Parts: sequence; C-alpha cells; structure tokens
Amino acid sequence: MGGESTIEEGGEVRVGVYVCHCGLNIAGSVDCEEVTKFAGTLPHVVLSKDNRYTCSEQDQDLIKNDIRENDLNRVVVASCSPRLHEPTFRKVCEDAGLNKYLFEMANIREQCSWVHLRDREAATEKAKDLVKMAVAKAALLQPSEEIEVPINRSALVIGGGVAGIQAALDLADTGYEVYLVEREPSIGGRMAQIDKTFPTMDCSICILAPKMSDAGHHPNIELLTNSEVVDVSGYIGNFRVKVLKKPRYVTDDCSACGECPEVCPVIAPNEFDAGLALRHAIYTPFAQAVPSTYIIDMENCLNKEGVIVCDKCIKACDREAINFEMKPETVELEIGTIIVATGADVFDPSSLPDYGYGKHPDVITSLEFERLINAGGPSGGHLIRPSDMQIPKRVAFIQCVGSRSEKNERLYCSNVCCMNTIKDSLLIKEHWPDTEIYVFYIDIRAYGKGFEDLYRRAKGEGVRFVRGLPAEILEDRVNHNLWLIGENTLQNELYKMNADMVVLSVGLEPQKDSEIVQRLLTLSRTQDGFFMEAHPKLRPVDAATGGIFFAGCAEGPKDIKDSVTQASAAAARSGILMAKGKVTVEAITPLYDPDKCTACGLCTKVCPYNSITLNKATKQIEVVEAACGGCGTCAAECPFDALTQNHFTDPQILAQIDAVTEHGAENKIVAFCCNWCAYAGADFAGVSRMQYPPEARIIRTMCSGRVSTKFVERAFARGAAAVLVAGCHPGDCHYINANYQTRRRVELLWKRMEANGLNKERLQLLWATAAEGERIATKIREMHSLIEEVKPEEIEKAKKVFERALG
Amino acid sequence: MPLRIWRTPLDIEKVELPEAEIHIDRDRCKGCGFCIEFCPTKVLEESEELNERGVHPPEIADESKCVICGFCTAVCPDFAIFVIEKARE
Repeated sequence: MGGESTIEEGGEVRVGVYVCHCGLNIAGSVDCEEVTKFAGTLPHVVLSKDNRYTCSEQDQDLIKNDIRENDLNRVVVASCSPRLHEPTFRKVCEDAGLNKYLFEMANIREQCSWVHLRDREAATEKAKDLVKMAVAKAALLQPSEEIEVPINRSALVIGGGVAGIQAALDLADTGYEVYLVEREPSIGGRMAQIDKTFPTMDCSICILAPKMSDAGHHPNIELLTNSEVVDVSGYIGNFRVKVLKKPRYVTDDCSACGECPEVCPVIAPNEFDAGLALRHAIYTPFAQAVPSTYIIDMENCLNKEGVIVCDKCIKACDREAINFEMKPETVELEIGTIIVATGADVFDPSSLPDYGYGKHPDVITSLEFERLINAGGPSGGHLIRPSDMQIPKRVAFIQCVGSRSEKNERLYCSNVCCMNTIKDSLLIKEHWPDTEIYVFYIDIRAYGKGFEDLYRRAKGEGVRFVRGLPAEILEDRVNHNLWLIGENTLQNELYKMNADMVVLSVGLEPQKDSEIVQRLLTLSRTQDGFFMEAHPKLRPVDAATGGIFFAGCAEGPKDIKDSVTQASAAAARSGILMAKGKVTVEAITPLYDPDKCTACGLCTKVCPYNSITLNKATKQIEVVEAACGGCGTCAAECPFDALTQNHFTDPQILAQIDAVTEHGAENKIVAFCCNWCAYAGADFAGVSRMQYPPEARIIRTMCSGRVSTKFVERAFARGAAAVLVAGCHPGDCHYINANYQTRRRVELLWKRMEANGLNKERLQLLWATAAEGERIATKIREMHSLIEEVKPEEIEKAKKVFERALG
Repeated sequence: MPLRIWRTPLDIEKVELPEAEIHIDRDRCKGCGFCIEFCPTKVLEESEELNERGVHPPEIADESKCVICGFCTAVCPDFAIFVIEKARE
C-alpha cells in the first residue's frame, strides 16, 4: 500500500508558500502581499513569496530552486483551482525531487477573488484562511507512490454516426481492436439522411458511404449493429461492457438481393425517410446500409415469438438466410477506453402549436426537407408539398425552431441550422430557379470556413432574409396555402406573407436516453443536457471519468466537419492511453490499520466498487487497490478509525476544519464539496463571476461520501455557524452511489441535532452538478442569511453537544 | 431514430400489395374457429348462419385486410378455406 513510509518521520516540516497574483485575476480583489506576509507567520512555513504568474516557466523554476536551496519538504501554491493546475505544480515538485503528494493548493481565484470582486477586505481575509487551511493540511501530507494499472488495447465506440465511424477507423488504423456499437440496423447516423453538406455542397451519402464501408470491412473493427450497451463496470483501462445484440432474424448469409421485401405482405413507414415513404416488415433502411444484411421488424411482422404465420420471405430467400428462431444475445467485452459518440436528436416542433406542425401538411421539418430533396428519397428528389404533390413556388424557412428560445427551454444555439437552411435554399434555386425563398431568422450565424461565401451566394441568388420569426402560421383550408404572420424587426413593420411550403429549421437536442448513458458511464451533463467535457478549453474531448472520451453531437451540437475533427481527437486521446498500455492511479486509496479493525464489515457494505472484502478467518479486511475508485466513503464509515483515505486522511481534514474555526468561527460556513460536482460547480460559479457572500470555506474531498459525521461534529464543536455538505445529484455520483451514504450520514446528523434541540438548518445538504454554479452561489447566499440569525447561545449549545468530537 | 411518425407516406398509392380472394367451403367447416383466431390481420369472423354440420362457419369481415399469408389454410383441419391472389386488371 502506497504512502505508509514517512520519509522524514520526526524531521522538521518545511513549507514554502507561493501566492499567485494571476495578473489582476487574483490581485484585483485580494491583497496578495498581505496574504503572503500572513502565510509567513503560519507554523512550519519557512518561506512565502508572491508571484505574478506562478504557473509561468520562470516562477516554476523559482519554486524548484527554493525546494532545493531551502530544503522545502512541502509546497503550497495559492492560486487557481487544483482542478486546473494541480498537475502542473505536482510536476514542479517531482522535477525538484519532492514527492508530488507533498503539494497542496489553495483555491483563491475561482473560489475567492472571482466571486468577491467588490469586497477586497473580505476576499483578502478569506484568502488568508484558505492559505492557512492549505498549510495546515500540507504539514500533515505524506509522500505516496501510485500504483500502475494495465490498459486493455481495445476500444469501444458507442454510436455509429459519422463521429463514431471516424473515431473507430482512426483507432483501427492505428492498430487497436475496436467494437463499434450502433443501436439502429445500420451505421451512418444523421449524416446518411442528409442530401448535401455545407459549405461545399458535397453529396452527403457519397462521401459517407465509403467510410461506412471501410468501417464495415476493417479487420480491426467489429460492428455490433442493432445493439445497445446495457452494462458498464470497471475503470479506466479495464472496463467490462455488456452489449445486447438484438436479433435481426436474418443471418449474415443475406446477399441483400432484395427478393424478400417483394413478397412481404406488410408495410410500415420507413424511419429513415422520416415516415415519408413506406418499407416492408423485412427491409434494409437505405441502399448504402452497412451491414447490408436485411432485418425484420418484429413489431410489424405477422410472425410472433414462436409462431410462423407467414413464410413468404423464408420461401423467397435462396440463401436460407431468414431465421425466426434468433434470440437476443449478450456479448461481454473487455475494454480499455470508451468513445461516446451517441449523437443528437432532432427537436420535435409539434410542441409549438403556433407553427401548426403535425396539423398543416405543408409545414415540414428540415430533416423531412432533406429526404424530399434527396434523389434517393420518397419523391425522387422532387421537392413536392405533401398536401397536393405540387412543386412549391414560394418556400419559407423558419430558423431557430427549438433553439435559442426560453419558451421551449432550449437556450442554446444548435450551430448547424443557419448554414443548413442556406444550403437548402441554394439547392432549391439550383433545381427550380424561379422559386421565391424567404428565410425568417433571429441572427444568421455564418461563422465557419467558407460559410460567409455561401451566405453571400444565397443572397446573390435572390434568397430573401427577413429578421423576425413568424408568430403564427395559418393554413388556408381550401388550397393548403400557408400564411405567416410576424414582425420584421429591421423595418419595424408587421408582415403577413403567403407561402406554399414552410420548412421549420429544427434544432438539435440531447438524445432522449442520454440519462441512461450518463448513468452507465458515470458522466456529467451541462444544463442543456449534452455531455460535459473535463475542461471546456484544454480537455474538450475527455470526460471527467478516466478513459472515456466524446465525439460528435453527444457533447454539443456541431456540424459534420467539427464532429469528424472531434472524433479524430478522441481517437488520438484514447490511443495515447492504449499506446502506453498502463496508467497510474492516484494514490487516494484507503490506508488500513489492522490493529484498530474489529472486523465489523461496515466498510465492505458501503464500498461502491466491492473492492473491500472481509476475511472472516483472519478478522481483517482486504482492499483491492486497482478496483478502488478513491471515494473514501469507507474511511467515513469506519467507526474505529481503522480506515482512512490516503491524501485525504482524517487528521488532514480535521486540521483544515481547525484552521477555519480558529478565529471567528461564529461567522463562518465550513463547506465540504466533492471534487467532481460541487467543487467543480463552485469553480464554475467563479469562472462565471457569480457573486456570493464570503463566509464559506470550502474543503475539497473526492466524494461527498468521504465526509464523516465526525467532520461535521468537529466543525460545530469548534463553533462554526453552519456546515454545508455538497455533492453530485443522487444517481449521478462519480463513484456510482457513494453519495447515498452522504445523504444517510447527513440525515443521521439532522436527527441528532434535533434530538439535542439544535436548529438543524445549520447543517445544509446540497446536490449540484459541475454546471450548476448558480445553485452553489444561491445556497451560500441563503446560508449567509441563515447564519446572521444564529445566536451566540446556539453556537455555545452546539459546541457542548458535539464536545466529544474535539477529542 | 426515434422520430414521431405522423404523415401518410407519399408513396402509399404506389405500393402494390396483392389483393386476396378468399374461398370458404362453408359446409366442410366443423366450426373449430382456428382460422378466425389465428388470422394475423383479423380478416374473418364467425357468421350467423348454420351450415350442414350445424355449426357457424367463418365469414369475411374485411377482405382488403388479407395479406394472403395462407395461415388459415394451414391450420384448417377440414381443408375448408383457401386464398388466392386476385388477378390484376
């Protein structure tokens, strides 16, 4: 077990403190010189300095020199969030020969200067406290060695749209084994449905089909279509994945000759053509489908489980490829890295009654337009209005349907619709130059390479752009003509315009079942519902969970080019891990003291990874470190202090609590935040410059499940006005379910407080995701009002009740 | 692709499904009701009339729903029902 040797037991602890100005980001609202001076007065601190940019090469060298020349054996940097630069400074320590676990960070930017921009005095006081907490913890840090975990050299790509295909091809070409899982009968995704692509007007399927075929034939890619990922366990490099292969009822012997649909007596709408055309119960979704093997849709087929009523397809198939006996099959895979390329859904405009979609047949969506203008589509490429099959003379496009709207709770821009509409308008002009085209918009966003040129071309061709979306679309019952009523906001006048056909430029939205994928892979999502990357700038394709990466629209709406770019990036990132073949796991696993253990087994029950087992014979527990996720909930559970979490030990966290509560505890909030959601959310509040009162002192734990009841008791026993415990939403825990233990412990404390006549409001529990900075800020504002009401007698009473925790 | 499908497909007129001509030999029927029960598109129903054997033979409720799967012929113990494809005009 790493970290048991104490290199300088009994030796002098020598801490160096570096306070960063971060230009004016910190120095603008915190008096960094004063904080530095204060740091110099703290126990064990032998040196304290302030720097303009501590992360600069120059200042990194300064720290390295100080470590060597002043025999520093602990380093504290007070700057930004450890989620940003802890790895940088750990590396500095290592370069200077100091174990990286002897480094500690005080977050005085995201959680101090940026959230108290206009209260320099309070921000400076808070920064001092944060430094004091960091120094108190640093003094107790121990060097640790990380264990190495092997990485399986095989990747799972979830989703076979263009992003998934690209990622799979890149990895397979590099030489790794790839499993490409697609829920639909064929790979291809949305791109296969689209007619042309912007801004080059290439035929979409013509450029996609060769890639699909490459993916289908690649010796390193195993295609699992009509399949879904149903279970994921394990950790980076060692995921165990279960994939459910649903039966196609047609074997690989199928030669796609096309005889079977000829005889199939059942018809159903073809999903690929957005329901605009029919298919049979035995079918292939589209001509270029990969695999080309046909499939039987059992929802519509006359045959039911075990009863063959109709055998026409069986008789028609020369190759005897049809088998109604096929059963669902679960495949188990050993996977090293996972790429999530689950794509996006299309907004359903029937929720907007004013536009009459679903009621007026000639109001269509942009996806339906793609099928109508496509030569392989139901109308053979003739843009016809569904009501009377006539070619429309005047077409109106409406932008931002299901995007940038508070009304339907989709505030984000879907990125692709402006250019898609411009492309569509040019396609119409190409075939029927006399068509009048109107585009109703809020803003036209032609931001990419070649986009503006296309926009200008459309204007040159006579496409008219009208600023102001229609408020309503009415239909003339007799001739199906449509009337658009709205306000032209550039000319400040109302319009009432007639059109033969209206195309709703629908936005993209997260897949309906994103929540399932989120739970399976322990991911987080932004407020919009798309998956959240580990860092929006510097780790844009990594998930917060190790070994998982994003490609395509799963992470946010994007066009084909960006999806492909991101897919290649994700493939490269996952390839790096697999090329190394091993990864080191942070040394934050449990530390075990067998002498204190009574073999009660409580820890084994709370471990979300089943990595602790009780050996009844030896009356001791056994920890499988490679399986440990590092949440620390076992340490919080152990009633006998036999377990603690390395780098987040009981003494270290207690020292932080004591540092906060040493002076003025009656005006402070001790806040415990989990690294992944609440702490990241507090960082996000900082990045967004949300302002909140300065009483909170945040202590970072990996999981809220690490927060032992004794930590809360200690804070109250030392006179804290209030305590906040914040973690991921139940069901979203980064450590599977450890936050359910958090809830249980907080509820236990609430009961204890009530039983002793204490106001239980003083202990608050908050669930907040990394994107919910505002929730954190609001909670702290609420608690600010709460602690103003807390009377000195109440604080004294709590001190007495929890006295025992001081021991 | 979980799209909401609501339109009448544009090619609904073009798809030609074979039209059925159902023949029932009423007097051979012993009224087991298999053809009615197992018809996947529910083309048949029990008639009011009594045949020679004193049972209610099936009658056609909606011939247009028949897809000529031939399952009624297969399950009839008395060879009393068969379906042929109507000649196209």
